[in-house]
Amino acid sequence: MSYAYLFKYIIIGDTGVGKSCLLLQFTDKRFQPVHDLTIGVEFGARMINIDGKQIKLQIWDTAGQESFRSITRSYYRGAAGALLVYDITRRDTFNHLTTWLEDARQHSSSNMVIMLIGNKSDLEARRDVKKEEGEAFAREHGLIFMETSAKTAANVEEAFINTAKEIYQKIQEGVFDINNEANGIKLGPQHNTVNPAQPSGDRGQQGGQGCC
Amino acid sequence: MLSKSKGWFGPVKPKSVHSLENLRLLHGVLMRNATVTEQNRSLLVETLRSMSEILIWGDQNDSSVFDFFLEKNMLLFFLKILRQKTGSYICVQLLQTLNILFENIRNETSLYYLLSNNHVNCIIVHKFDFSDEEVLAYYISFLKTLSFKLNKHTIHFFYNEHTNDFALYTEAIKFFNNPESMVRIAVRTLTLNVYKVNDKAMQMYIRNKTAVPYFSNLVWFIGNHVLELESCVRNDIDHQSKSRLSTLVAEHLDHLHYLNDILNIGIDGLNVVLTNHLLNRLLVPLYVSSMTKTRSHGKASNPPAISSVVALFLLSQVFLIMKQQPLVCQLVDIIFNGTYKTIADQPTDISGIGTFCAFVEPSESLEISLDSNRERTGREMKERRRRPNYRDVDSPTEDIDGDGGGKEVDQGRTDGPVVAIAAAEDEDDGDDEGDGEGVLRGAVGGVGGRTRRREEEEEGDEEEEDMPEAERGGRASPTPDNSSSGVTSESDSTSNTSSAISTSATSPLVDSNSTDEEKRIAATLQRAELNLSTRPYFSCVLNSLDCNHGDYRALFALCLLYAIGSNEGIKEKLLDGVLLTNRVENKAFYNSVLVERLIALMNQSCQLNSCIRPVTLEMGCLLLKQLVFSNIQAKCFLEDRHLACVEGAKEESVLLLRTFYKGDELFLDMFDDEYQSMKKRPLNVEYLMMDESILLPPTGTPLTGIDFTKRLPSGELERTRRAIRAFFLLRDLSLTLRNLVETKLPLIKPDLLVKTSDKLDLNNSDLIACSVITKDKSPQRVRRFLVIAIHQLILVEPDSKKLGWGVAKFVGPLQDLEVTGDKDDSRSLHVTVHQRSTASPHARPVPLLAARFQFDDHIRCMAAKQRLTKGRQKARQAQMACLAELLEIPISHHSGLYGSSSAISHHPGMAIAVSSSKGGASSPSTARHTFLGQVYETYRQLGKK
Repeated sequence: MSYAYLFKYIIIGDTGVGKSCLLLQFTDKRFQPVHDLTIGVEFGARMINIDGKQIKLQIWDTAGQESFRSITRSYYRGAAGALLVYDITRRDTFNHLTTWLEDARQHSSSNMVIMLIGNKSDLEARRDVKKEEGEAFAREHGLIFMETSAKTAANVEEAFINTAKEIYQKIQEGVFDINNEANGIKLGPQHNTVNPAQPSGDRGQQGGQGCC
Repeated sequence: MLSKSKGWFGPVKPKSVHSLENLRLLHGVLMRNATVTEQNRSLLVETLRSMSEILIWGDQNDSSVFDFFLEKNMLLFFLKILRQKTGSYICVQLLQTLNILFENIRNETSLYYLLSNNHVNCIIVHKFDFSDEEVLAYYISFLKTLSFKLNKHTIHFFYNEHTNDFALYTEAIKFFNNPESMVRIAVRTLTLNVYKVNDKAMQMYIRNKTAVPYFSNLVWFIGNHVLELESCVRNDIDHQSKSRLSTLVAEHLDHLHYLNDILNIGIDGLNVVLTNHLLNRLLVPLYVSSMTKTRSHGKASNPPAISSVVALFLLSQVFLIMKQQPLVCQLVDIIFNGTYKTIADQPTDISGIGTFCAFVEPSESLEISLDSNRERTGREMKERRRRPNYRDVDSPTEDIDGDGGGKEVDQGRTDGPVVAIAAAEDEDDGDDEGDGEGVLRGAVGGVGGRTRRREEEEEGDEEEEDMPEAERGGRASPTPDNSSSGVTSESDSTSNTSSAISTSATSPLVDSNSTDEEKRIAATLQRAELNLSTRPYFSCVLNSLDCNHGDYRALFALCLLYAIGSNEGIKEKLLDGVLLTNRVENKAFYNSVLVERLIALMNQSCQLNSCIRPVTLEMGCLLLKQLVFSNIQAKCFLEDRHLACVEGAKEESVLLLRTFYKGDELFLDMFDDEYQSMKKRPLNVEYLMMDESILLPPTGTPLTGIDFTKRLPSGELERTRRAIRAFFLLRDLSLTLRNLVETKLPLIKPDLLVKTSDKLDLNNSDLIACSVITKDKSPQRVRRFLVIAIHQLILVEPDSKKLGWGVAKFVGPLQDLEVTGDKDDSRSLHVTVHQRSTASPHARPVPLLAARFQFDDHIRCMAAKQRLTKGRQKARQAQMACLAELLEIPISHHSGLYGSSSAISHHPGMAIAVSSSKGGASSPSTARHTFLGQVYETYRQLGKK
């Protein structure tokens, strides 16, 4: 399937916060609520539509790769968006956000869009981290924030799509150098031939007209 | 494709979803649809998905599920579907199913069963359509997932010792240079996971069969990135493609970290091959030998080379990241002791790979090498039926030359003596070039017949360059004792590596009494100074410190020396050889040539129109401290004459700063700001070497977005700031070297300051009661007492327990105070306390306090205003006095400029404090600076008149 842009995401956060579930819920729209079955996946892709443009999202899970410095470094740098996930029923996963964020900021390009996600919002009874705290943390660090439930699918679509919108916005503003694939953004096949040499400023206007 | 998934479960009751029954059902569906058609594709995909889910459920809940899966040989069925070449739709789903299956299986037995027949390997070697990026992404994720399952037991399902097959690894590394970065990362993850598994046979296979092709191609890939980086630097005089450059720099760091991660796993045999390739195919022929090259404009060089600046920069990165002894020691030895001839003659036949040192393309692509390797292995198996054992590492080419002159692989060439081809490294790129080129071509061709020709040439060369060879020979012949205590003695299989590490000019370190030691060092001292001419690379590093034409190269030379000096992998003996005393405790005999260059650099940085950037000076000071100051002993080893020079430089910096000194507010503010930002953000060399902006020629314009310290000053203000920096740096250096404690900086002693929540005795203080209304989103009104201390504005809440005492609720420096009246309310004052340089350069400056103070009446309000204004004035005057004293500016001169209050009332800067207009600037801090900037300019003009 052809697309206008491809955005690469990574999902980061402590183990057990539901990173894989989010991914699976988003790419496969399935999560079995009946059995307590956690399914891990490392990779997923899905096409979405923003402003009439087909945008492909590729999500790479980074679980288990922390032991090699070279790998974490590269993963962060190769992504245009990051979902930073914590579990609202586990305070420690929230407390570790600073470390995750520092890592992300140090290794990634400064343009990477980071979305903070408080997952497992369906478990309201066991809530350990207030929504306000998540909001405050996001505000303080300039992140987008959302509470989701991979189980009920609440806000999952929004989390991925809003991140994509933010990236798309940045492309329109010419912040991202889209000719530099290292940013985690790739132009679709038809773009490559048309305007790779154009300055990014022009492309903003073009995008608005929805030429593709 | 995934959108269709919704609702497919509809008719099935959820309770039976995870059950053996359902799996049977699904299996039936698959069987009926064994041939993939347009019509049943979606059905198949859905069936596969739910199967994986049931399997995982079964793995955790019901073992009969797994038995069924194995009994029906479903993996084989998957393989059959794949082989039908049905397009990416099914492929992707199958790969995802497999991926989920292997990722989630907890039960070890289940895993073994899944792996036990060879189906997984068949799937791995299946020729997927990798031009489809999605197929490739799922495929490589699948491989990566499998690699996470590798351990001592599972490795045997993937690595077949008898057929020497390891599809998981060999198929994955074929993608090592895929344009997709995520794919490359997955490959790297996989390789590291493989190396980590402690299985000798497998490791030997990796080393003997794959290491040479993989590493030679990898190194070539890195080298080409470096050449790209070079052309980016070369063609980007105007700082236009910074993002590309930044990516390339980060990419190089990634490469180094990856290589470092491999080396850190510590498989000796593998490390030898990797180290050898790195040195002989990249670091030495491309980096080190380019150091002495002057930038040739627009000329495509052959052999490929990079500019000296880039070479120094990249080498600094290497030494900051890599700490493995064999690698860094050999590299440093070549930089310190090597000659052009050393590189040409580099004896490297230690692992049966390249016997020469050059940056050349591997004669075969990795894929071809691996495939032909497998074929060959197959043949070999039939012919010889013998398995290589680990000892073969010492004669590692046994397996390659076994097929009797079959395919001549460039790296596999084993016969003949050491062949040198990268001979033409002369600085002037002159006569030898043609010669060298011919030889190079021969090597690239890798044709056996050429070897003889090269040998002859080599002989001729040796005769010509008789002198240097003799000299080198004297040095390089290893004495028995240091070859046995060789650098790589840890690795049993690589005992002759140490021959490549020629010992340095110093005789081996023997335990001896101090007089012998001194004699030895004195002797080496002499020799080192004499020998610089025979150390082209080392003297190039030292010469790069010459800043007469700018400090572009000097910064990298400093970083390189610093990085080498602090690299724990480098033997002290090597550093000793060139008298680098970074790491030893006894620094009595330091490299005076180097120290004198550093001092010259410091002196130059104190000149009016100096071309030394603050960061270069800071690096220089850092290096000098490392060289001559022992932290543990708190002792400085600098000779008196040198110390006097450092003191001289410090005095120069004071003089320079005095020429910029204006007894005005702006100067004080700048002085303060520079001090704060230097204290808050000390130089981090590792971060500095990640910054691509320093790779471009130093620029003066702030428009490039380059940090002030990393560029030349633009305009008078920045020249002042630079002079202030130089003053701080050299003052700190001088104090450190003389083992003195700073007593005059910061201008306000921190211990004199009140801190928030301190308890204060207010019995003899003037207090003014007021209500403080903060000006943020949710304004708060609190009752406080205003106290004006020497340097601070303090808001106090009375202590409930102790009469006449209070608790400080807010403290802010008076000097950064801005106070204005209120047009509409004669009882109110608007008070802002500005924040000095913030911790992060990106953060928006937020004032420490922005509030309205409301007093009981107009009289009290006026009194408060007067006191605040006066307090601010006095605080600044006190600091100016300290500053003048620090710079030894005569008091009379100083008071004439600033001392009397009448001078202040004429001073426009003070207008801020007394004006009654509402200060409405949106960003007060910048407003303050621009305004003071104007003031400053006016001042200068006045001064000129």
